[in-house]
Amino acid sequence: MIDIQNLQKYYSRQCVLSEVNLTYTRGQSIALIGPNGSGKTTLIKILLGLAIPDTGNIYVNQNDITKGHEYRRSIGYMPQITRFPEQLNVKQLFSLMRQLRTDVPGNNYDASLYEELSIPTFEEKRLGTLSGGMKQQVSAALAFYFNPSILILDEPTAALDPVSNEILKVKIRSAIDNNKLIITTSHILSDLEEIANHVTYLMEGKILFNDTMDRLRTETSENTLNKMVVSLLQQEIQHA
Amino acid sequence: MLKISAVILQNLLRNKAIFGYLVLLCFTGWGMFLYESQPEKAVLSILQIVLLVLPLITLIFTTTYYYHSQEFLFLLLAQPIKRSDIFAGLYIGLAIAFLAVFFIGIGLPVLLFASGMQSLFLLLSGLLLNLVFIAIALLVGVGVHDKSRGIGVTLITWAFFAFIYNGLVIFMMYQLSDYPIENLILVLSFLNPVDIARIMVIMKSEASALLGLSGAVFQDFFGTAKGGVVSILALILWSIIPFWITHKMFRKRDL
Repeated sequence: MIDIQNLQKYYSRQCVLSEVNLTYTRGQSIALIGPNGSGKTTLIKILLGLAIPDTGNIYVNQNDITKGHEYRRSIGYMPQITRFPEQLNVKQLFSLMRQLRTDVPGNNYDASLYEELSIPTFEEKRLGTLSGGMKQQVSAALAFYFNPSILILDEPTAALDPVSNEILKVKIRSAIDNNKLIITTSHILSDLEEIANHVTYLMEGKILFNDTMDRLRTETSENTLNKMVVSLLQQEIQHA
Repeated sequence: MLKISAVILQNLLRNKAIFGYLVLLCFTGWGMFLYESQPEKAVLSILQIVLLVLPLITLIFTTTYYYHSQEFLFLLLAQPIKRSDIFAGLYIGLAIAFLAVFFIGIGLPVLLFASGMQSLFLLLSGLLLNLVFIAIALLVGVGVHDKSRGIGVTLITWAFFAFIYNGLVIFMMYQLSDYPIENLILVLSFLNPVDIARIMVIMKSEASALLGLSGAVFQDFFGTAKGGVVSILALILWSIIPFWITHKMFRKRDL
């Protein structure tokens, strides 16, 4: 579904991503992790077309992402911080988005998260008056709303309360069962290990490891993602 | 694209700064005619405001607005929408809002109280100056990533067009006063949109008689119908070129 070949990205002269080669397919749920400044957000921005790669090719469903915007139809994105137009209320935002997404037929919206996160209770409120967590809920509901086959979630659980957090995780797991591709970044590894079946670890713009959760588990004989990461990092240091 | 403009416009019309700007322009436009008994003089006073205040507010507001709405632009950019449509939508939304404010504050009173070529040119130049400075402000916003630096650049841009450029030209005129430089000055005045607008309007008024020798050259050029058309075209170019550059930049840039 996503094929990244030899991606390199520089900001001014600093290299933020180098020699990134990744292939992700349906049914995978990727935990995209790495320390601050390792290039996770840049990678996501490139996938969304917000940043332009310097070299390399990226294909989403066999479409070269530098040619045309249609590939983004299959992507749902939940940003880390969202600032919505303050004067709109939640309902109006969704209706605006529906108008912008004429490619999605009228009955094909997925409002389950909208309902489950009890957004209807505050849908008349202006977006400018919502709390950070509520905005995050709106943002999550919006990401799933148009039934995308690829979901990109940037720190989805950071501002959510425990109940909403669980609702979102259930939603993500059902999306995996529905054969979608999910890419999640987070620093809360305990959240990630419940929803991810694949780990990509970025460090200083390079892929340190990229493997299924199961294989990492047997390789490191650790149980939690946190410990697996630590053990793998120690192995790397010993190799170096 | 027009849907995006509609959202931007809706957002702008509820903006307090835009409302304050409307009040300011209303005071100038309507107030000047109430206060001044000769409409011709009132038009010239309004011209001064249009030449100084309009670029300043348009520049600062537009750049600030661009920085402020960046996250929302991200959300839109992540949708299957062409980047150029988003940019054009933003520009159109801003242009409609500013032109509406200008029309209510300045346009209506001028049309009501002072008809004639001079007023027509005042409105035309005000309209085009709006478009020019929105385009320049977006150029700064897209070109400079850092917000505070961007605002600084807009302020310098404003100062440059409002008085620094004129200062330089006058300095040069004094230095070269022994040479026939009238035609050179004519060309130089086209390099500043504020100057084009100023000369365009003044030449249609009787005050142009006060402009002395180079005034005569200006009168020869700007006073004619051809001169009027050329200066309007020049202002249109002044809005199209920054728009086009920014548009190109916006399409190929990391955001």
